[in-house]
Amino acid sequence: MFRRILIANRGEIALRVLRACRTLGVEAVVAYSEADRDSLPAQLADEAICIGPPDARRSYLSVPSVISAALVTGCEAIHPGYGFLSEDETFAEVVRAHELTFIGPPPDVLDRFASKEATRRLLGGYGLPTIPGSSMINDDQHALSEADRIGYPVLIKPSAGGGGKGMRMVRTSRELESAIKICRSEAKSAFGDDSIYLEKWLDDNRHVEIQVAVDRYGAGVHFGERDCSVQRRHQKILEEAPTPALSPEARAALAETAIRAVVAAGYENVGTLEFLVDATGAAYFIEINCRIQVEHPVTEMLTGIDLVALQIGIAAGEPLGLRQSDIVTRGHAIEFRINAEDPAADFRPGAGVIEQYHAPGGPGIRMDSHLYPGYEVPPYYDSLLGKLIVWGPDRPTAIARGRAALEELLIDGVTTNIEIHRALLDNDAFLEGRMTTNLLDRVGSAAFLAAAATAGAR
Amino acid sequence: MPDGSQRERPDARSDAARRADHAGISKLAEDLLPALIAKLGSTGLGELEVREGDWQVRLRRPFGSGPGEGRRASDKPSRSQPGHEGHGHGRAGVESHRGAKDTSGSNGTGGSRGGADAADKTRTIATSPAVGIFQPGSRAASGTKIRAGDSLGTVNVIGVPQDILAPADGIVGSTLVEAGTAVEYGQELIRIELAAPAAPGANAEAR
Repeated sequence: MFRRILIANRGEIALRVLRACRTLGVEAVVAYSEADRDSLPAQLADEAICIGPPDARRSYLSVPSVISAALVTGCEAIHPGYGFLSEDETFAEVVRAHELTFIGPPPDVLDRFASKEATRRLLGGYGLPTIPGSSMINDDQHALSEADRIGYPVLIKPSAGGGGKGMRMVRTSRELESAIKICRSEAKSAFGDDSIYLEKWLDDNRHVEIQVAVDRYGAGVHFGERDCSVQRRHQKILEEAPTPALSPEARAALAETAIRAVVAAGYENVGTLEFLVDATGAAYFIEINCRIQVEHPVTEMLTGIDLVALQIGIAAGEPLGLRQSDIVTRGHAIEFRINAEDPAADFRPGAGVIEQYHAPGGPGIRMDSHLYPGYEVPPYYDSLLGKLIVWGPDRPTAIARGRAALEELLIDGVTTNIEIHRALLDNDAFLEGRMTTNLLDRVGSAAFLAAAATAGAR
Repeated sequence: MPDGSQRERPDARSDAARRADHAGISKLAEDLLPALIAKLGSTGLGELEVREGDWQVRLRRPFGSGPGEGRRASDKPSRSQPGHEGHGHGRAGVESHRGAKDTSGSNGTGGSRGGADAADKTRTIATSPAVGIFQPGSRAASGTKIRAGDSLGTVNVIGVPQDILAPADGIVGSTLVEAGTAVEYGQELIRIELAAPAAPGANAEAR
């Protein structure tokens, strides 16, 4: 195991990694930008080091600054968290060149899974059902002919990155032509790479993903699935497990297919395979995330396994130490992403000082958040304030605990999306487990909130 | 902002003057004030005042910082400075934890490189442009006469030296960090005695 690692991230995930380090007895150094000097992870770390100004390109995304910080603080490994440099194979390569360890898949594995389009072909070859899609798009003419072949509607997707940036669904060739330019420029600015491809768009689809872990020696296990169908413009806002979309048999079959394919393809470390599930229950592989994910606590609540600690151990070369039969999922968990954004104003992100903060408690309640009263939410980064995760022996209990916990949760000083979560827990489609990825976008979030308010008043 | 800033309001102004004012306000808010507040926080001073062009800013530490006494105002710029008094964290444990840390430079200037040493109009400080290993150059010797933009040394970032630039004309004073030491971004490195006191604006007493 490592003696000392650098956490090259911020916010709740920096705190989460720090907590895993404490559990493992590993010293943690937090690299922070000037905007995060007062942040909880920077304050709780064994050491904290300022790596640059608020602009992420000169701090959290600056490869030389992050590596220099690891070297001067005597760290052996770097945990990239999610976002920022977490799936950047060039960064992983430079980390290795400086005789440090990248906590994640090794550079050659990241490289193999870097292109989503090539990954679909690779894992498709190992038995994963894939969604009809195009090769990498060269020009508009190519895009139009590929879209015709796949059949509208199609989704334009950037090959690099995730989080919904640069993605757009189009229903006609005219829409495709105008959207493609926008997607390219969004992808360029978000990921520095404007390659895009097309994918068949399934109306009324559900988003289900399988969590896996594979060690350096080719031993791998899956941890079941998570349902991330509740989204807003391709950004997840609520995740749960097990998925209400599939039968226990279908869930198990999907997870087993997934772990077999990634082990065969030589994947290493924790990862997540994302699938779209259509109305008939057919699942199509869309992409693999080679990092710890925002929603990993859902799985931790069900299995009792610390996925971040596992990730660090695998990167340190330790054997997995788990067989599939050791992984037992119990009950039902739901995660609510609490964001500093205004649902009534098109989810405009906000910033400001947290005047009051109270985290909910009780059985089955977990709050992963870097907030504290007096903390200033900086305007420079994503709007995630924390994650409320609730567990219950069954879905209705988890939902009831979720309602109570959302009532208890107090965040004063910035506008949050807590209302949208409360509304979701009153929504029939959600309560009956029928939600699809267009649940919010179909009506628009403001309309969704208004409808919930009306229903609540009845 | 504590005590805020005040300025003269001529009756009629041109668009250009208005734009210049806006630029001035942004500069004040984004560059100068955080640096000044950081400075106030890191020193034992109760009050400091600085003038630049038409502007004059006075900062006063909220004394005892009772509830409702500008807590929020003093909190605002705290992103550039940890642990100054009256900061209202409500987490004393966290604060002291930080104080116990050995990481150098936790009283960096909030990164406006070479931010004016506002406590003293005759001095300024060159700060680190990056995280790495500090190596003073030949022009960092105490007593050397320097011009703004001169390189006073480097910070080595994984083999690539980055220049530490003099923020102003002046004479090199003491070096605050030993050669070969690890430094973080924004850390104070070299004191500079200014060549001439900053010229006060024409209407320095505007209020």
